[in-house]
Amino acid sequence: MSKLTKLTLAFLLSITCITLRAQQVNPGSVKGLVRDTAQNYVLKSATISVYKAADSTLLSYQVTNNYGEFNFKNLPVNLPLRLDVSHVGYMTSRKQFTIPADKNKIDLQTIIATKRDVMLNDVVISVPPISMNGDTLEFNAAAFKLDSNAVVEDLLRMIPNITLWGDGKITVNGKEVKNLLVNGKSFFGGDMKLATQNLAKNSVQKIQVYNTSRNQGSASRVDSTLEMNIKLKKGKDIGFFGKIGFGYGTNNRFETDGSINMFTPKMQLAVVGAINNINKIADNTGDLMSNSTFKGVGTNVEYQPDFRAEGISRPSALGANFSYNFIEKPTYELKSTLKSNYFLQDRNTDYLSDFKTTTSVNSTDKVIEKNQTINESSNTTQKFDSYYEYAKKGHNLEFFQEVKFDRGENNNQTFRSSTNVEDVLTSTNNSLNTSNNYNKSFRFSGQYQYSPYIITPKTRFRGFNAEYSLNTYNNESERLNITEFKSFTGTASNQKFNRKYNTSSDGLRQEFNLTIPDVKRLIFGSKNYSRLNFNLTNKLVLNSDKNINRVQDLDTLTNVYKTNAYLDNQIRTNLIEETPGLKIEKSFQKSLSNRYYKSFTIRFHPKQLLISQDNKSDRSFQNLKRNYSRFAPDAGLSFYNHQYGETSRSYDLSYSTKINIPNINQMAPLTDSTNLYYLQRGNVNLKEGVQRELSFRFDSNDQRSKNTLNYYVGINAGLIANNIVDSLLIDEQNRRTVYLVNANGHKYINGYGNIRKAYKLKSSELQLSLSSNFNANKNPGYTNSVFTFSTNLNTYTNVNINYTYKSYLAVAFGQSYNTSHSKQEAFNTEYSGTNMGTTLSSSYNVTKRFTLNSNVTFNKNSSSIADDINFTIWNASAVYRFLKGNNAEFKFSALDLLHQNTSVINYGNANSFTIGTQNVLKQYFMATISYYPRQFGKKGKDKK
Amino acid sequence: MLKFALCSLITCILSYGQIMGQASKVDSSQMTTLRIDPLAARGAAVSQFFDEVTFTPLETTKESLFGAIQQLKMTDEHYVVYDGETKAVLIFTKAGKYVAKINASKFEKDPDVKDQSFYGFNIVKEDDKQTIQIRAGKQVYYFDFSGKLIKKVPVPKEKNYTNYKKFSDGTVIDQNFLEKDEKDSTYYYLSLIKDNKRVESYFSYKTEDRKGDDRWHGGRVYDYGNPDEFLFIKNYQYNIYKLTSSKLSLAYQIFFPAANSLPMDYGTNPVYKGKAFDYYEKNRDAFYEMTNSYLHFNNLYFQVRNFNWSRDEKKAFIYNLKTTELTSIADIEPDSISQFLPVTDLASQYDFTNKGFLIVNPEYFYTSYSSLTMFTAKEQNEEKNRKYDAVLTQFFKTQNKKSNPVIIKLKPKKN
Repeated sequence: MSKLTKLTLAFLLSITCITLRAQQVNPGSVKGLVRDTAQNYVLKSATISVYKAADSTLLSYQVTNNYGEFNFKNLPVNLPLRLDVSHVGYMTSRKQFTIPADKNKIDLQTIIATKRDVMLNDVVISVPPISMNGDTLEFNAAAFKLDSNAVVEDLLRMIPNITLWGDGKITVNGKEVKNLLVNGKSFFGGDMKLATQNLAKNSVQKIQVYNTSRNQGSASRVDSTLEMNIKLKKGKDIGFFGKIGFGYGTNNRFETDGSINMFTPKMQLAVVGAINNINKIADNTGDLMSNSTFKGVGTNVEYQPDFRAEGISRPSALGANFSYNFIEKPTYELKSTLKSNYFLQDRNTDYLSDFKTTTSVNSTDKVIEKNQTINESSNTTQKFDSYYEYAKKGHNLEFFQEVKFDRGENNNQTFRSSTNVEDVLTSTNNSLNTSNNYNKSFRFSGQYQYSPYIITPKTRFRGFNAEYSLNTYNNESERLNITEFKSFTGTASNQKFNRKYNTSSDGLRQEFNLTIPDVKRLIFGSKNYSRLNFNLTNKLVLNSDKNINRVQDLDTLTNVYKTNAYLDNQIRTNLIEETPGLKIEKSFQKSLSNRYYKSFTIRFHPKQLLISQDNKSDRSFQNLKRNYSRFAPDAGLSFYNHQYGETSRSYDLSYSTKINIPNINQMAPLTDSTNLYYLQRGNVNLKEGVQRELSFRFDSNDQRSKNTLNYYVGINAGLIANNIVDSLLIDEQNRRTVYLVNANGHKYINGYGNIRKAYKLKSSELQLSLSSNFNANKNPGYTNSVFTFSTNLNTYTNVNINYTYKSYLAVAFGQSYNTSHSKQEAFNTEYSGTNMGTTLSSSYNVTKRFTLNSNVTFNKNSSSIADDINFTIWNASAVYRFLKGNNAEFKFSALDLLHQNTSVINYGNANSFTIGTQNVLKQYFMATISYYPRQFGKKGKDKK
Repeated sequence: MLKFALCSLITCILSYGQIMGQASKVDSSQMTTLRIDPLAARGAAVSQFFDEVTFTPLETTKESLFGAIQQLKMTDEHYVVYDGETKAVLIFTKAGKYVAKINASKFEKDPDVKDQSFYGFNIVKEDDKQTIQIRAGKQVYYFDFSGKLIKKVPVPKEKNYTNYKKFSDGTVIDQNFLEKDEKDSTYYYLSLIKDNKRVESYFSYKTEDRKGDDRWHGGRVYDYGNPDEFLFIKNYQYNIYKLTSSKLSLAYQIFFPAANSLPMDYGTNPVYKGKAFDYYEKNRDAFYEMTNSYLHFNNLYFQVRNFNWSRDEKKAFIYNLKTTELTSIADIEPDSISQFLPVTDLASQYDFTNKGFLIVNPEYFYTSYSSLTMFTAKEQNEEKNRKYDAVLTQFFKTQNKKSNPVIIKLKPKKN
């Protein structure tokens, strides 16, 4: 298979090379100047578009410079071309020309632009593809000739300055679009793909791109973000789109889904549902919606079922999404929006696994545990949330609420056996667990922010920010556990349990946050006592939890369940956390006109953490009261450097302190002896762990307009003093008893980086992205009373190359390389492993309606203690679209063609390493038929 | 609506009476009405307006690096520049060679004064010698043109009009004259003072009138190189006044198309109080300010401002009083006179938009723009084989986009 992969790759690369070379074949250039001769001036920023005269295909466009000039390169010679000049307030000037092959260039000299007279209103006005309207860059949909079934995404792909990334991000001149709006409002929850893959290109008037800096005149746009707005044509701001699909395949595999999305200028409503048994799992309404979109006829690397997921799931889901804008055209100063979501998921999962874990007991001995698990579970989750936002001149109010119900059943059988290094059986532990649970939770949060709309130097009160949140929950569960432990060596006795649990827990958590900025001004007015800026902060958390555990054991003599006097318990924990703080900031700015703008900020946020924890239990040894008080400062430095016309870079260094207090189950748990392979013991002397972290992040944004390069890197490093760690005692039967102790010396460091670059070629595009992160830590701990550090290093690296050729071919190549390495110092043991994945996906539009997709993933797992595991998953599909508007789709898919999906378990941690397999989705073939009803604008008005 | 109209009318009548009671009468007998449509503005070649264009790049060294020219004055040998970003006065030769810099480090630390920064300078004659005069803290410092401190004197306690705009006969223009009365006090936006005595006063107001008002009602006086006459523009009026040492007279009353005009009573009607920003936001085409006006023979220069940021919009003009021809300064096209480089940065940056010409006299106009603008223009000329003079050839060869700004000296045609 790898040969095939290589061959395919080589073939694709050769296509790329041919295309790259093809760029050089068009050596023609044309230049000229645009002048309004009536008023005697040149037109700056007029749009010049060059088309093929024969079929009006847009070849290139430019905006005239300050001299009113344009200069195109790479145009075809000896071919009749047409050039359109357009500018606001002017009639379109048109010129036909051919670049002679012998000279390769033509000078059109002065092109005369004529003002559009009010009297000549009925002259046909052709729309330029691009125009500048103040600070807004506008792309006019009508200027781009596309198939009548095209969607916004197809339009965006046509625009040279815009890149659509493989991961769904959109960049304009290399800068990432943070927000996508439709008619100034977020569209069905803000998922960009939902708008770009469903809205018909023909319903769009124009696409606007602008910076959302409120202060338009400010020279430095430090905090501005890029926003894209899809402006729909008049009358097209009302419509619907949806999908209904059904597929059936071998092994009784099936999938079905349906959705309907309706929108009006003020309201949006979506209802969507899906059922399948092929691990296509959506966890929220948004996911569900983005998986049932029209997607247009362009090339796409198709959404795949998850072959790597554990077990086989039969999810069914239903979601609804509603939003209402009380103000039709919301702005920053005035908006009032309500959004609601409903989501129901029912999921049945069968999971089988078989693995082996090797654990170092000391420097020479190892315990090897074999584990077989059979698990069946079913779960029903319901979620309803809503969000309301109101803003009016300086007042900003937000509310959020969420109710969640979760009902589940679980059936689990585990067979475990332990052997020693000589492969002698030492013990077995088999257990059967059945449980059901019913969880309810409610969340509410509100935020009010006030900042005066007009601020004069005399304004003392500069606003405040108040937040409140409330979480309550009620979890009920019933569980039956039957365990049998058998010992084959040593003195340990065999044990048997048949235990019933009935637990219920309730809790309430409230959090209040208040920030008052610029306290100095509030007290002293405009008198400038110091250049420091002071903000008062306060956080108050009130938390109470109640746990009732009813535990019964089967009395084997009477065959009746009797209360377990030790485990049967009720416990209540109250926690109060109060954190007053004073945030001190000082900023320095330095700028030099047209050269640079730099700003430097120092933050220091001293705060005192006061925590009181009170536990009340039926068991007197659990009646523990603890108070913690600690000075926990945060601090930071940030530096921003904007070099005009070159780069803007930001650096941020921050320091934070957190404390982790031990809970009652860590200090004084009631040890349940049914799980002999893991017995947890408490420690009332546990102290709080103190985590100190230093983070650094660096972002670089290119300010040039061509071949931009943007990237970021970050690193976090921390120390945890008195970390609560395990002291593990393992006997030769693999019985583990875990004590918790405080230990110093926990260190960690992790880093990440991302770099992406796109090359827009004439009719194709090449995207490269690289992301990488690593995680290294040194964990203290005890194993059989020997203090040891384990050091771990994990790295993840992903390289993606996407290539698209016109709208015919899309190829994505991805390479992931993950390594893990762990070492235990005291025992001198070391484990390491690598997972490599090579993915090659391609999508080829044979005709406008017929598409072939292929996706090959080659996986290679290697570890220091086992043989390499290699397998390849190849999925392929053929899609045919039919009916007018391409509204219907027939698809035939073949999944796991090579029948190789074994799904390997391969992971290591502190002092152990696990390898094995689990059941996963395997080969199947499926035929799917889908229908996509779509309509934009009212019926009847459609024709124009 | 009727109520509102009636109220406004009464207010107008009342305030009119009040003003008339104290302020001098503006002479409007020589007034000319001009009707100007910015859309009708034409372009021109540099050579149609200017005979000569000289570029003087100001030398860039580690010490002389500064932001933008906020204030420019000159002597026979020197250009003297104030830059607000580096808070410094920089002295260059007429050829652009750096001579010296004066910043806060040149002053002795005054323990009584916390902030010794300064916001401009003057060139004054002291003991028959030209000196650079800077007022900082409680002292007035005098420097020679090598940046050496000559002397310092305490700032006089009394208002002494030394640095005010003056006519050749010594009459001073006071833009914040206070008339103290027994009962209340009245301020004047424009007063003529001779020998410390008030000659005339125009545009009076009381402090309480301005409470809660987000508009600034004053005006600006423009020096166009005539020692006996200045131009004056009062905010929220499209009027250009001539100011002599004896009187203020309304010279040009300008009418713009309705979409570009503020309501006639915008500056006086209290209904607009505290709502200026909202008004401009809603009426983005309206010119909320007319500024930077100079008169050169028959050519009247002026600029307008509104809330539209588009560069296509024409906002700086030359109106020929004789031919009535309107020229857009942004559309003055570079030609061989200017070595095909722009004469202002209206098309790319904001120096000219903000400050207009830095110095205007009958012989020469001075403006400046950044090296970024210079290099951008040069890049757009790249393929055209332009020949630059020795100064610019050297500049483009040795400097870059981050070098100091360039002074552009223009010799206007006398038409």
